Amino acid sequence: MMRAKEYDTDRFDRSKRIGWLDLDMVRRARCLVAGAGALGNEVVKCLVLSGFRDITVADTDHVVISNLNRCVFFRGYDANSGTKSEILAERASELDPDVRIASRNVMVQDISDWDSFDIVLGCLDNISARLHVNAHACYNGIPYVDGGTDGMIGKIQVILPDGPCLRCGMNGSHLGVMETRFSCTGKASAFYVPKTAAEITTTSIVAAMQVREALKISSGRRDLCIRDVAYYDGVSGEMSVLSVRKDGTCENHPCGGPCDNACKNNITEV
Amino acid sequence: MGIHISVKNAALGVTLKMDIAPNETVYDIIESAAEFWKKDPKAYVLRKGKSLLTAADTVIEANIMNDDVLELLPDPEGG
Repeated sequence: MMRAKEYDTDRFDRSKRIGWLDLDMVRRARCLVAGAGALGNEVVKCLVLSGFRDITVADTDHVVISNLNRCVFFRGYDANSGTKSEILAERASELDPDVRIASRNVMVQDISDWDSFDIVLGCLDNISARLHVNAHACYNGIPYVDGGTDGMIGKIQVILPDGPCLRCGMNGSHLGVMETRFSCTGKASAFYVPKTAAEITTTSIVAAMQVREALKISSGRRDLCIRDVAYYDGVSGEMSVLSVRKDGTCENHPCGGPCDNACKNNITEV
Repeated sequence: MGIHISVKNAALGVTLKMDIAPNETVYDIIESAAEFWKKDPKAYVLRKGKSLLTAADTVIEANIMNDDVLELLPDPEGG
């Protein structure tokens, strides 16, 4: 027999009322959050409160005072103490004692166990790292939800194993980095990362949408996902969802067809 | 023969007319429009209707036709 107000003793009672949400599958999903900055803070907050239980955060950066206008888990006294990933993992764990948040003080280029994750959330601030995560997510057949912000402008791209990837919809910056990475001079191995405008309202919206897409994917409802990229204009409040054509020449889709694990079997590392 | 298009700047709300050749790329259009508005072309993408155009595609491959109105969108890369 149900007791009066019993529904208020269950942390996830309200989440369970969302028809398509499969909380058991969400709890089992192993999430990698690449980047522990502004988007990383908001994404981890939403992941924990949404019921995800297995989260790994990767970042090597340290907190600086100018992060504090948009990073909910950082404090002034964190400046130059631990890494962002360590502080974020520790503070976000306080939201729910049942969540396991691991921190890795590594760059995404140093991650090797990609098959340890069921979903990747990109909270990065440079194209080089994005392209790296994109390639590994495609290769391993892992859904990748990438977020990007610049002031009042935001972007959310959902990359599913059977669809177009980040590289398929490359802009000029991506192309420039690709050319640099594959140049034979070997001189350009570091990338200039311009400082962009950043504030919390756009960050919150983009991060919340990234986690909502992760909830759909983890609940087995990829059919509900954004196809393929959403652009958000915080000044007008408009959101545009655009399709991206899967590029037949993109090296992340070597078989040319749906990029499931069959692709992985057709790649020979040289 | 050139193809006549319009490029709308989503951020500024203004439009320019442009003549393009079939073998030019989407990135060429972005570069020309960005140069006109004195913006960094690397930070923009181009949409046609509900589709994001691939920067490396030619005008033919991107199915850009006479009188098309394309929209130049800022492409946020911060995190």
